[in-house]
Amino acid sequence: MLDGIFTGLSTAVMPFNLMMVVVGCFAGTFIGMLPGLGPISAVALMIPITYGIDPSSGIILMAGVYYGAVFGGSTSSILINAPGCASTVVTSFDGYPLAQQGQAGKALALAAYSSFIGGTIGAIALLIAAPALAAVSLSFQSTDYFALMILGLTAVAAFSGKGQVIKAMIMTVFGLMIATVGTDKTSGVPRFTFGSVDLIDGISFLLLAMATFALAEVVMTILNGKHKEKDAQLSMAQLGSMKLSKEEILHVAPTVARSSVFGFIVGVLPGAGATIASFLAYGLERNIASAKEKLKFGKGSLRGLAAPETANNAASTGSFVPLLTLGIPGSGTTAIMLGALIAAGVQPGPRLFVDNPEVFWSVIISMYFGNLVLLILNLPLIPYISKLLTIPRPILTPLILFFSITGVYLVSFNTFDIHMMVMITVVALFLKLLEFPMAPMLLGYILGGMMEINLSRALVISDGSFAFLWERPLTLGIMIAAIFMLCLPPILERLNKRKAVSGPEVAINEGEG
Amino acid sequence: MIVTKDHIGGLIFLCLSVIYGYYTGDIALLPGDEYEPFNSQSLPYALAMLGGALSLGLLITAKSDLNNKLSLRGYDFLLVFKLLLLVVLFALALEWVGFLLATVFFLISGYWLLGERRTKMLLLASVPFAIGIWFALTQLLDVYLAPGQLYILLFGG
Repeated sequence: MLDGIFTGLSTAVMPFNLMMVVVGCFAGTFIGMLPGLGPISAVALMIPITYGIDPSSGIILMAGVYYGAVFGGSTSSILINAPGCASTVVTSFDGYPLAQQGQAGKALALAAYSSFIGGTIGAIALLIAAPALAAVSLSFQSTDYFALMILGLTAVAAFSGKGQVIKAMIMTVFGLMIATVGTDKTSGVPRFTFGSVDLIDGISFLLLAMATFALAEVVMTILNGKHKEKDAQLSMAQLGSMKLSKEEILHVAPTVARSSVFGFIVGVLPGAGATIASFLAYGLERNIASAKEKLKFGKGSLRGLAAPETANNAASTGSFVPLLTLGIPGSGTTAIMLGALIAAGVQPGPRLFVDNPEVFWSVIISMYFGNLVLLILNLPLIPYISKLLTIPRPILTPLILFFSITGVYLVSFNTFDIHMMVMITVVALFLKLLEFPMAPMLLGYILGGMMEINLSRALVISDGSFAFLWERPLTLGIMIAAIFMLCLPPILERLNKRKAVSGPEVAINEGEG
Repeated sequence: MIVTKDHIGGLIFLCLSVIYGYYTGDIALLPGDEYEPFNSQSLPYALAMLGGALSLGLLITAKSDLNNKLSLRGYDFLLVFKLLLLVVLFALALEWVGFLLATVFFLISGYWLLGERRTKMLLLASVPFAIGIWFALTQLLDVYLAPGQLYILLFGG
């Protein structure tokens, strides 16, 4: 492991990679601050840049953007009560009341410290957990991979929120259907191309990700009329002091410790991600608080702010465990990273640890740097970065549109891709209006190709029999876990009906964190 | 009966699954592939059936709740249509007038559509930006950007 750490350190401290961490954190903070644009959109916007650089630098950049976007989302949650992404919705429950009480600076500082500690503890846990899991997963066979992919797909559907399970599963199937467009990788036969040469290579991952998460998100804000809203412009004087007293630190320390571990574990679960971790950590903290402290939740409780902030960063780090070791993304954002890595010729999964150790380790090491950058550089600069939000929306929106479109065009130099993007955006908008979650579709699309290859291999080996699903104990275990994941939402729903839950009720739309 | 978002969604995906399943039959098979345990049509057929079953499941379990009814009121569809049309025109402009002019046209039109009317702002936020991006791509990153069909027609390749 020590060798690996040195490999990672030597790659991560390269000036270009350090610059990627800094640039990623800044770009992520800025994009994450924009209401409506979350980590998925921020990471999707970075894909075209990663095509031109080394895979290690690319994933370091995307990881930096991921943290930055989660942090930026917290900032807009606290300052203007407009969460940039789903994982920071809970932050606004107590962060915004604090800002209204003239303690915005304190809330921002606490959010930054909590994120830093959550992210750092998460990174340490990742350092221990990822190589151990990677070593175990080296013994996986194609049957296990197929079962793992089924687990990844069902987990995303299971965590998609109340009443959304069937919709999420339909979207997963839709993603798998999109993945079948183009030349079949095993036989070389074209499928669903309808004679079009432009579809021979299938629908590109970049195009799909940009259309559904960058373009569609921006167009959705226009459809809702949000582009007409003026963001609150806070001056530095309004932020108040950024210092926390010793009592306050002691008060939130146990919360931060609990939420770090809890957030990391939730993040590791395929499909859960930062959003669910932040909601669960807030709920946990509220449940174990004293009656007096419980009353403060929702009115500016420091514990209520620290818990989700710590958990969402720890979970963001935790979601890298299944991505790096099994090639199964833990969230929508890591699904995009998986697609970008595959496009760059790097196959995440057990072999990544062996074939591309520099990618594996440099991501883990760069996470420490990312957390440091957020704390040392971004926190003091927040008053200035938030000023960027004062750029009028009629100017900012076409610029984001421009970057989304040219990001795709500059990779293929084919204007057909722009037309295709528009078509996919229209479909995505319609599906969003019907409240279908987008993340499962992207995950289905990314895992579709690999799933088909592994299923094909497994079936050929077992001579067409599906007995491989229960003959090997490991495969059987994973399949049972997948079935359990599918049965979990109805069980939880029934339990929730029995136990009336009080407090701020917020629906989790999709496991996108 | 109230037709809800779930009913509409379920029906759309049911139709999609049927069409998808129908076109799966058009996928060519290599000689002898029909006897293989897994061929190019296997997964698409399975997906069509799974998609159909899930869509039916959604249609059956959808509750006729008034809150879940699709309401298109309050959405600015016209503006979205104009912006998406602008994106299509941008793609055409890229082919005909090249990257630089197409970008200036796209940005000015985009700002205008979203309500910016000050000429100075329209020009300042588009021309320097487009030149900057064009310069960075062509001169710094050495990316070749085709000059556009119109330029080639007028001045030759």
